[in-house]
Amino acid sequence: MQIAYYPGCSLHASSELYDIQCKKVFRQLGIELKEIEDWNCCGATSASKTDDFLSVALPARNLGIADASGLSEMLIPCSSCYNRTLVTQKILYEDPELKNKINIELSKKVEGKIRISSILDILVSKADSGEIAEKLIKKLEGLKPACYYGCLLTRFPGDIKISDNIENPQGMETVCKALGAEPIDWSYKTDCCGASAAVNDTDTSLFLMSKIIKDALEREANCFVTTCPMCQINMDAYQDQVCECYGIQKKLPVFFITELLGIAMGFTPQGMQLDRHFVDSLGLLKELKLI
Amino acid sequence: MSSSVLQFEPELSQPLIQEVMSRSGQNLLACYQCRRCAAGCPVGDETGVTPDRLIRMIILGEREEALNNLLVWKCVACYTCGTRCPNNIQTARINETLKQISKEAHIEPLLPKVSAFHDVFLRLTSHFGRVNELVFIGLYEMRNAKRELKHGGGWKAVADEMKNHAKLGISMMKKKRMHFQLNRVKRLSEIKRLFKKAKDEAGG
Repeated sequence: MQIAYYPGCSLHASSELYDIQCKKVFRQLGIELKEIEDWNCCGATSASKTDDFLSVALPARNLGIADASGLSEMLIPCSSCYNRTLVTQKILYEDPELKNKINIELSKKVEGKIRISSILDILVSKADSGEIAEKLIKKLEGLKPACYYGCLLTRFPGDIKISDNIENPQGMETVCKALGAEPIDWSYKTDCCGASAAVNDTDTSLFLMSKIIKDALEREANCFVTTCPMCQINMDAYQDQVCECYGIQKKLPVFFITELLGIAMGFTPQGMQLDRHFVDSLGLLKELKLI
Repeated sequence: MSSSVLQFEPELSQPLIQEVMSRSGQNLLACYQCRRCAAGCPVGDETGVTPDRLIRMIILGEREEALNNLLVWKCVACYTCGTRCPNNIQTARINETLKQISKEAHIEPLLPKVSAFHDVFLRLTSHFGRVNELVFIGLYEMRNAKRELKHGGGWKAVADEMKNHAKLGISMMKKKRMHFQLNRVKRLSEIKRLFKKAKDEAGG
């Protein structure tokens, strides 16, 4: 089965490992990810904060390209890209005048027919159908992840309905349980890591991350797992600094969900590029005899 | 708030509230100050002004305060306030609108780095169609350095900022998370047209 795929800027730069992992893991699940041609940046939150027209027009161009691909579904692994694209699709559906205005400028017009899926939409259905269980080489016994959703996977700046619970989502837990891991119950799963504030308002971001890390440690998680490249790089690259500022003694590896799937499916740590983490992730996996 | 006595001049407050409501698409008048937004705001403790306070400022027509408070600039756009609001008011959208109004009015932002971040992000998108992180950080730091030198932060402030990012940059390089290749869109003319239209829309 083939589905369209929008990687977004992060997955072609600092989170390239997530791009590689997504393709590998999905192939193993019988899904070929077909990257849409000539995609552009979705504008992320920067467009919304600067120009309302662009915040819709930029994702709209990608939607036009995706509609023209002839495929019926598109995976967007990055939470920010997923959020912006889904919101745009809804705005354009409700505002045909704006849609026409944007379509005039596009070589591939938005039709609004492609279904936008987050990585959890697809993985949860594969967990429920038992297809993930079929592909398992080993169970992730002893792994106690704090499933970290962040903001943009469940909350939208508009009335968008999702299948999971907004305040206490369970999708990532469902997938982790299918892999034999024991996700912990905790209170900060949908709290904000600060996103771009890590760069432009660092103290605020460090404070927000400290609360998330402290709660995960108190609940005895031994790692984080996330689906968002911004959450991953913030919690991973800044964890040293957070721990130093807030006197936190222990560090927790921050896995992409695809890394846990990959390890359970028998991919090597090299194949999953686990050496590209800031907080060591190999030690824990070795200790638990998972690699 | 500007004074201890509550002052309300309907004719003065009308233009601001109308502008914010129409641009943000949020019905501010539906706010009945239940403060669920304030309870959930991750930066509320730091900013002092919480979403409910901001809405009240706008309703009272306190333009200057509404455009110059920490919430507008520290809002992390997590959308918690909006999803918890019983009347579906997205204060994060209101903050976005206020940032835009503030920029159009050439008001110096309370957190200039936040404003520089988003400006540079969009500028790069207009040039390449995609955001290249390395070029992005370079331009963003140049913008910050220029401002520090102009407004008296001096070379020390510039050096401190650079040192922080250089440290992160080095560890990103070590972890092969730094990307040197320049990504760009092929049909850039389409991107340029969208940016031109955005400018026309704003002008009109």
